[in-house]
Amino acid sequence: MASIKILIVDDSITIRRIITNALKTVGFTDTTEASNGKEALEKLQAGKIDFIITDWNMPEMNGLDLIKEVRAHPVHSTMPILMITTRGTEHDVVEALQAKVNSYIMKPFTPQELKEKIEGILKTVQVSTE
Amino acid sequence: MNQQEVEKVLQKAAEVKVFCEYGQRTIPVLDDIAAFLNEISPAIEDLKAVLEVAMVNIPKAAGQLGRVTEATEQASTQILNTLDKMVATLDQVITSVSTGMVSSDLGVATNKMAGIVKTLVEKSGWDADIVELAEAWAAHLRSLKMSGPTSNLERLLKELQDDCTEIMMALQVQDITQQHIGTVMGTIQAVAEELKKLTTGFFSTPAAQTVSIDLPLPNDSEVVGDMERKKMVESLLSKARAGQL
Repeated sequence: MASIKILIVDDSITIRRIITNALKTVGFTDTTEASNGKEALEKLQAGKIDFIITDWNMPEMNGLDLIKEVRAHPVHSTMPILMITTRGTEHDVVEALQAKVNSYIMKPFTPQELKEKIEGILKTVQVSTE
Repeated sequence: MNQQEVEKVLQKAAEVKVFCEYGQRTIPVLDDIAAFLNEISPAIEDLKAVLEVAMVNIPKAAGQLGRVTEATEQASTQILNTLDKMVATLDQVITSVSTGMVSSDLGVATNKMAGIVKTLVEKSGWDADIVELAEAWAAHLRSLKMSGPTSNLERLLKELQDDCTEIMMALQVQDITQQHIGTVMGTIQAVAEELKKLTTGFFSTPAAQTVSIDLPLPNDSEVVGDMERKKMVESLLSKARAGQL
């Protein structure tokens, strides 16, 4: 399970480093980064990505638009996506779920919370593809 | 003068009488208006001066908030850099300890670590978490001097790595703060825009403009705690999984 390649999308380099390190501590060592949705789509086209962790508020293309683009893509439409954000109103969560995000986590989070979310999503995705 | 002409004169006299009566009633009102304008004129000038000062100070305040964001981001990067070095050094030390190579290599590594911890404490401005880490490191050094079993040493080193991770995770506050500051800056800029319209519109044209400031209101996430927000998110996710959304 820990051999998956995770794409971390966030405009803050601090948060990208924090997520990368948190993932490392819970066993997910294969990661790559993008600073906005547009760059993430390029990375997705360029190489093998198994999982996306994305922020919501970003310049160029925000996280919600990224999710919509990925879901509309013929190849990547079933890509597991976790959103990590400071936006925590009921309206925000519903909007993200309507865009078909797999799960949602609020900042600040712990490495353990991150691990549980990723494993939960992977389990659900696995079940639905069986 | 015939009858018709007399009637015309009487009609004109009646009109003059009405005009005089109307004038008697309106002149005091006009006097009051003139007095009021004389009274508020300095106040309008004062208001204009206050607005002009605000137009200088508001962008300055927004700039200061921007600098706070930059400074905290810079400090976070420095702390992350130092923590990365510490974790890497701890990895080396743990490897040495677990493979039984507790020798001069360890001495070099621990000295290097002590230097890094000291720098980190200074760079963080004596942040409570980092001071706690330094104390933990000092305790660790004491335990090294006591030449305890290497398994205990390994455990302590791993605890130090966990402490480093905790500090790293605590740095999320920088991003959260940055986003809140961003919202405040947006509000300040909206106020500045409206004040600019007031100073260029109200004071230079006779017609007063309607002022409407579209301020972002604090959302639910800003008025409830982290735990409550997380509970709400989890509850919505459960509903979504159950197909109830």
